[in-house]
Amino acid sequence: MSAGAELIRGAGLVKRFGGIVANDAVEFTVVEGDLVGLIGPNGSGKTTLISMLTGHLMPDGGEVVVRGRGMRGQAAHLYAAMGVARTFQLTQLFGRMTVLENLLVPGLTRPGSTWRAVVQQARSTLDFLKLGHLEQLHAKNLSGGQQKLLELGRCMMLEPAILFLDEPFAGVHPHLRDELITRIQELHEAGRTFVVVDHDMESILRLSKRLVVMARGRKIADGPPAVVREDQAVLAAYAGS
Amino acid sequence: MRGLHVYILLAVAALALLFADRLSSYWMHVAIIAMFYGILASSWSLLAGYAGLFSLGHMAFASIGGYTSALLVQWYGIPIPVGMAAGVALCCALGGLIGWVCLRMSGPYLAIFTLGFSEIVRITFATEDDITAGMAGLHVERLFNTTSRLPYFYVAFALLVVSLLLMGVIVRSRWGLFLRAIREDEQAASASGVAVARFRILAFAIASGFAALAGSFYGHYIGILTPSLGGLDFMAVLVVMTVIGGMERLPTAVGGAFVVEFLLELLRGYGQWRLPLFGIILLLTMRFARNGLLTPLWLKFVQLGEPRAVTAMALRDVPQKDPAQ
Repeated sequence: MSAGAELIRGAGLVKRFGGIVANDAVEFTVVEGDLVGLIGPNGSGKTTLISMLTGHLMPDGGEVVVRGRGMRGQAAHLYAAMGVARTFQLTQLFGRMTVLENLLVPGLTRPGSTWRAVVQQARSTLDFLKLGHLEQLHAKNLSGGQQKLLELGRCMMLEPAILFLDEPFAGVHPHLRDELITRIQELHEAGRTFVVVDHDMESILRLSKRLVVMARGRKIADGPPAVVREDQAVLAAYAGS
Repeated sequence: MRGLHVYILLAVAALALLFADRLSSYWMHVAIIAMFYGILASSWSLLAGYAGLFSLGHMAFASIGGYTSALLVQWYGIPIPVGMAAGVALCCALGGLIGWVCLRMSGPYLAIFTLGFSEIVRITFATEDDITAGMAGLHVERLFNTTSRLPYFYVAFALLVVSLLLMGVIVRSRWGLFLRAIREDEQAASASGVAVARFRILAFAIASGFAALAGSFYGHYIGILTPSLGGLDFMAVLVVMTVIGGMERLPTAVGGAFVVEFLLELLRGYGQWRLPLFGIILLLTMRFARNGLLTPLWLKFVQLGEPRAVTAMALRDVPQKDPAQ
């Protein structure tokens, strides 16, 4: 684990859906400068964990702590205000708003933000993502890969300390996937912390400094990718035994 | 010439004010009622079109505003504008409360909930006839002590213009952007830092306040209020007007109110048959022009005088500035 200050901590997080325990006392801490790959078979509880850590799901047990502050009962927009951004497994954009407007929304929620400065920041973000020429298009008209990029841009507009990306490479053309990886790496080098969930092992291994593996609602491994890859429990989980 | 459409609208408004006295009493009444619907349609558009909160309780707030003002004026002898302001304030608070109660509802659930609310209001007003005079109708003190409709025309005009200006400032500000984001995807809006609950409540409070403004004016203009003002018939007419005009823009919603109200009068000779006609137009609009029949015309109108290069820009709803700053 990197040695930065603690950004976010899930302490003993529990979430049940009916009779299914989606997260079973999960301990998960991310420190500044981390680039965490969060992997696990389908149904292992990765998205549930992200949703609890970003305020979109209330835990049935345990607590989320953001920069030392307990977040019990807080709404998702307060997590965003504290620098916690996320994307969604199935891209969730403001479809009938323009690409530019999609970025203005998070920018303008920041206290003290001015319209002029946010428009300028949104345009430079679009240029960074190579979407500048599409700013007047409705977001629903973008391709799947472009939508993933725009969702990343929307996170960036919050100037977050930490970004949770839920399956950013799913269904994305290899060329755009490389584009996404490059952008994530650049943002990480600029000081952003990431937690990336995906099934694309090649991309995750290319990106991650730390690998966390979940299976059946529990965290089964956490450490440098080279070590985790050899972990017997991980191999067993992926082999389905 | 940029902003040509604004000058044209100002010229039309000036002409309407200058030549209003030439209208016959009948058509002046139609114009006043059209402006009454204009305030209702634009405020419902703010709620249903911008924020995506498809409430069927809008006319209930108009009714509550109307009765509140009428009864306060009757009981305490307060000036009518103060009574109207009290009606607006009450409906802002009540609208906010309804918004809070149905925070987790959307789509058909919200529609059914607000429909239930509006029926409760209507039946309460009909039943409590000791206070409201029930279906016999409550006699309301009129705004002006004259038989001329001209002063009412000017007041309706002023109320419509002020309402549109206030709502225009809201929808062009960051609040308007947040409301549209909530309409598109509440979860994504909250992930973007938008205080979804606060803005949903705010949308209900503001829209209900304008509904009350329209309702209280209506009462003090017509001189009589019946519980049917808050009923489903009025609400259906409002939905037809707003959807046919275009519910996602204030001007098209108002345009829809004007067009439908004037057509309803022009087609009066066809009796009840004109109502199914509007039903058919509504169905066709939903099928072929979901943004409303007036939206393409409005977009063309907005482009008047714009250089070609910015035409494409004008087609989008890109906010260019924050009036709040």
